[in-house]
Amino acid sequence: MRRVLLAITGTIAGLVALLSFKSHSPIATGAGLPSAGLPSAGAGSSAPPSTGGSPTTSAPAGTSKAPAGRSPAPASSARSSAAATQTDYTGQAIQTQYGTVQVKVTMTGKKIDNVSFVQLTAFDQRSQYINSQAAPLLLQQTLSAQSAQIDGVSGATYTSIGYVQSLQSALDQAK
Amino acid sequence: MTAVAPGRTASRLGPERDRFRLTKLPTMAVIGAGGVATIVLWVRDTIYVTGLGGWLTNAGRITGLLAGYLIVVLLALMARVPALERGVGTDQLARWHSSLGRYVVSLSVAHTLLIIWGYAVTARAGLWPQTWTLLTSYTDVLMATVSLGLLVLIGIVSARAARRRLRYETWHLLHFYTYLAIALAFSHQFATGADFVTNKPARYWWSAMYVLVGALLLWFRLIQPLINAARLQLRVVAVQPESADAVSIWISGHNLDRLAAEPGQFFRWRFLTRQLWWAANPYSLSAPPRDDLLRITVKGLGEHSRSLRELAPGTRVIAEGPYGAFTAASRRLHKVLLIAGGVGITPIRALYESIPAYPGELTLLYRTGKASDVLFAQELQDIATQRRSRLEFVTGPRGGRRRSDPMEARRLKRMVPDLASHDVYLCGPPGLTEYLRGQLRAAGVPARQIHFESFAF
Repeated sequence: MRRVLLAITGTIAGLVALLSFKSHSPIATGAGLPSAGLPSAGAGSSAPPSTGGSPTTSAPAGTSKAPAGRSPAPASSARSSAAATQTDYTGQAIQTQYGTVQVKVTMTGKKIDNVSFVQLTAFDQRSQYINSQAAPLLLQQTLSAQSAQIDGVSGATYTSIGYVQSLQSALDQAK
Repeated sequence: MTAVAPGRTASRLGPERDRFRLTKLPTMAVIGAGGVATIVLWVRDTIYVTGLGGWLTNAGRITGLLAGYLIVVLLALMARVPALERGVGTDQLARWHSSLGRYVVSLSVAHTLLIIWGYAVTARAGLWPQTWTLLTSYTDVLMATVSLGLLVLIGIVSARAARRRLRYETWHLLHFYTYLAIALAFSHQFATGADFVTNKPARYWWSAMYVLVGALLLWFRLIQPLINAARLQLRVVAVQPESADAVSIWISGHNLDRLAAEPGQFFRWRFLTRQLWWAANPYSLSAPPRDDLLRITVKGLGEHSRSLRELAPGTRVIAEGPYGAFTAASRRLHKVLLIAGGVGITPIRALYESIPAYPGELTLLYRTGKASDVLFAQELQDIATQRRSRLEFVTGPRGGRRRSDPMEARRLKRMVPDLASHDVYLCGPPGLTEYLRGQLRAAGVPARQIHFESFAF
């Protein structure tokens, strides 16, 4: 009986030690993540100097609903002045089974000029690899569809779903 | 046929220390190193762990990896590798196997529950829907679930309480389902195991480990016994009653020295008759082995051992072995005390004749319930005279509330002066062995000087 207790407590203690060893959060993302923009979109396509959010939006990887980069100007007024102002909208950080996805879109009116990742983390090497394959495809699909109605990437279902959710929440802000 | 013909054996009975033996500590170190390597797989693959879901899922991954590793260790312990059989000893291996087996079943259950729970928390799904998703849309998880069911079933069947209600043969047969369970669980490890999917070397090493242990099993449990059977041509020569319920079976063969059997070891015997061929039961050599002749002595305890009385001379025999670390090789000191309990006399009888000792430095205590249970009385007397060693028969009931046990520490010390400076070899039924180990420790014999073999399955 004593040995059984020893085995159980030993195993649990070992597990907790291992898990806490790995539980420090990785360096937050932002720079270095893929982004995609329309070449026709006037001003610098990849990193437009914009009014709203900057890559400093290191929202905690939780379920926060914080719309980080809300434009100060109301969306309705932007419509009249056509292609004049670009606005950034940062989507929710979506926690998936394999990591966190958070998307930022740069819009001119209703047009998506640029879309990029604020966060794209993975819990393990495999997920990281899958993300690196899927990320550019997801961004391309978004630019082509000009909405959140995209096919997603097969083999990266969870990342795709998280991506679409984050993207949709960003687009919702732009309405 | 009655005397034991010490002839050729007695001359070359030095403890055969030159033969390779993997003893307890190195074996544990190897198993531990493998465990650490398994954990390292997880450590290297995991980037970070976050949230309740992450903690649960990763705890599930670690327990799963460990279960996948330890289940192979379980098989390796039972592969009857000679170096382990001689070094650690069959009975010790079996004890490790059974406690490790319980641990592996627990780890597999924990792995399953933690993964379901962890995935459910992360996906914000209920436990049942999540279980359904895992079963239906994750590759090979359904097979692994069947495997878990089998493991749990075997675990329950093997639990001590249940086993007493089952025949040994049934239990043994059920145990073969472990192979099926391991086969069923294998593919989901690579198909869905995050640590393997992107790590090709890990997949190779992991597979290599499974293949190696499979090869060991095949070689030492199947191929080598068959080769030996063909080479040695073992046959029953004679069956001789030793007491009311014990018989000695003499078995002849060619070049038996190739087996390198040592006194104190045992074989698993398969008698090729219509009723007995399928069972391989362990019996110790009850005399030092000769180049052409082996002897075992069997007490009619179970169905199998009773039917051995009717064996006809000429019956073919297959022997797997030799097994066991209960030999002169574990000896450390000059003085030797042998203690036999009941039918535990069989390996002790072989050691009594052969273990190197000076006259006066070898003692045999032979404990039986009744005087009529004593086996080999004449042979033992002959050996005692020839080797000028001591022989004591201790008969009578066990100790109780009123009287003290004849083998309690105080009495042992009186019977054997200088007890603490003896190597003690102990063989008997599990209860007696356990009791005597305690008494010997109490009498001041260090644990490393106590060598024992218990013939529980």
